[in-house]
Amino acid sequence: MSIEPTVEDRLIALLRKTLGTETALSPATNLVGDLGLESIQVIEYLCEVEDHFDLAIDEGTLADVQTISDLAIVIRKLQRS
Amino acid sequence: MGLLDKFEAARRTRDTLTALPLNPTDVVIDEVLSASEAMIHGRRTIMAGTNNYLGLTFDPAAIAAGQLALADSGTGTTGSRMANGTYRDHLALEAELAAFFATPYAMVFSTGYAANLGALAALLAPGDAVLLDSEAHASLFDGCRLSGADIFRFKHNDVDSLANRLRRLGERASSALIVAEGLYSIRGDCAPLAEFARVKREFGACLLVDEAHSLGLYGAHGRGLAEQQGVEADVDFIVGTFSKSLGSIGGFCVSHRAELALFRYTSRPYIFTASPCPSVIATTRVALQQLRTRPELRERVWANAHHLYAALAALGLDLGPDVSPVVGISFQERETAFACWQGLFNAGVYTNLILPPAAPDGGSLIRCSVTAAHSRSQVDAIISAFTDVCRDLRVGRHAA
Repeated sequence: MSIEPTVEDRLIALLRKTLGTETALSPATNLVGDLGLESIQVIEYLCEVEDHFDLAIDEGTLADVQTISDLAIVIRKLQRS
Repeated sequence: MGLLDKFEAARRTRDTLTALPLNPTDVVIDEVLSASEAMIHGRRTIMAGTNNYLGLTFDPAAIAAGQLALADSGTGTTGSRMANGTYRDHLALEAELAAFFATPYAMVFSTGYAANLGALAALLAPGDAVLLDSEAHASLFDGCRLSGADIFRFKHNDVDSLANRLRRLGERASSALIVAEGLYSIRGDCAPLAEFARVKREFGACLLVDEAHSLGLYGAHGRGLAEQQGVEADVDFIVGTFSKSLGSIGGFCVSHRAELALFRYTSRPYIFTASPCPSVIATTRVALQQLRTRPELRERVWANAHHLYAALAALGLDLGPDVSPVVGISFQERETAFACWQGLFNAGVYTNLILPPAAPDGGSLIRCSVTAAHSRSQVDAIISAFTDVCRDLRVGRHAA
C-alpha cells in the first residue's frame, strides 16, 4: 500500500530539487535561519512551490512563514479555498 | 528585543566588509576626470561600472544649460509639484517626454526610485493583483508593497511562469498588473516583452515596463526595449529614470492612459516631496535632445558593448545571455569574485561587485558596463585587465 506524501514531504523534496541542498531537512527547518537562503533563492523556491501545487501564493500571506511546516499550513489553506 | 538590536545583522555585515583589503561598498571617487575616467586612491581609473550609457555627464550643452538654470532659477524649488514646485521647465520636460515617447501623457518624478514607487502606489490598491518578475528592481517591489496590492512573483523572464500565474488568478487576471523591466541591470539580459505583451492581451491585464536601463539604447528612436520589440502600444505604462542614459537625476512615467494625469492627485511619492531642481531639469532636457538627435552615441555604445562581450566570452567567463552595454559575470565562489574585482581595481578598472543578496541568483557577480564615452583603447584596457586577472586567478578558460 503506497502512502501519499504529505505537503511537508513534497515541500522538502522541492527544496532539495530547487536548491540542490544536501542539508538535513525537516518540517521544522527554518528557511532563512537554518538554511541561510538569500531572498532571491526563497523567491525561486516559492515559484517552484506554486507550480507544483498549481496555486497562486500572494507574498503577503507569507509574512509569518518561517519554517517548512508554516509554509505547509499556507498551502493547505489555499488548497481548501 | 530592543529597538536598536535589529542593527546587529547590519553591524556584522559592515564589519565583514570593512575587514576586507578593499571595501567594495565604500569606494570613494576623489575626482571625476571625464565621463569615463576618475581618480580613485590616487590612480587614474577607467570607470567600467556606471550607468552613464550615452556618456552625457560632461556634455557641454547640458552643463551650460544647467549653469544657466542655476543662475536664473536658483538651486532648488523648495516645494512640491502640487504647491510652489512646478516651474515652466518641469512642464516643458513633461511635454518633451510625451512627444519623444509619442504618448499623450507624461509625468516627472524627483528620482527614478520615486517614479517606480509613485507610479505603482498610485496604480495599485489593496485587493489588486500584481505580477512581478522575480528579478525586478527593489524600487518596483517597494512600489507594489507600498500599494498594499497582492504580489505574485513569476520566474525571471519566463513567459509560461507569468501565464500560469495569471491563469491561477481566474477572474482577477483581467484586472491584474504585470510588472517587468526592459534591460536588467545586473546580468544585462533583456525581457521578452513581445511575449509578455501577448500574454497580457490574452488575459486582458495591464503591463508596466521599467525602461530605466534600456532608454537610449534600444529601438529606432532610443525609446527602449518596448520600441525595439514593437510592442509600445501594448505597454500601458512606461517608467524610467534620468540618472542613467540622460546623466542627471529624476524619473518619469509616460502612458497613453488618461489616468496617468490623475496620478498627480493620488501618488504620495509625487506629492510629498520637493520637485526636481531647475538645473537638473535643464540638463535632462538637453540630454534628451542629444539622445534624440545623436544616434551616433547609440552606435558607439553598442560597438563597445559587442567588443567587450566578445572578448570576455572568449576568456571563458560565465556571462549573461544577451549582448548589451551591461555585462554580468557570474562566479561560483564569492572569494573568487572579490579577488577578480580587486585585481581589476588594482589594474585601474572600476567595476561593480555584486554580492548576495543583491545578485540575481544568490551568487556573486562582477557587473561591467561600457558607454559611448569609452574610447576603443579604454575598452581594450578593460579587456586587458580582465585577461591578466583571469590568468592570475585561473578562472574562465584558465581554470584547471
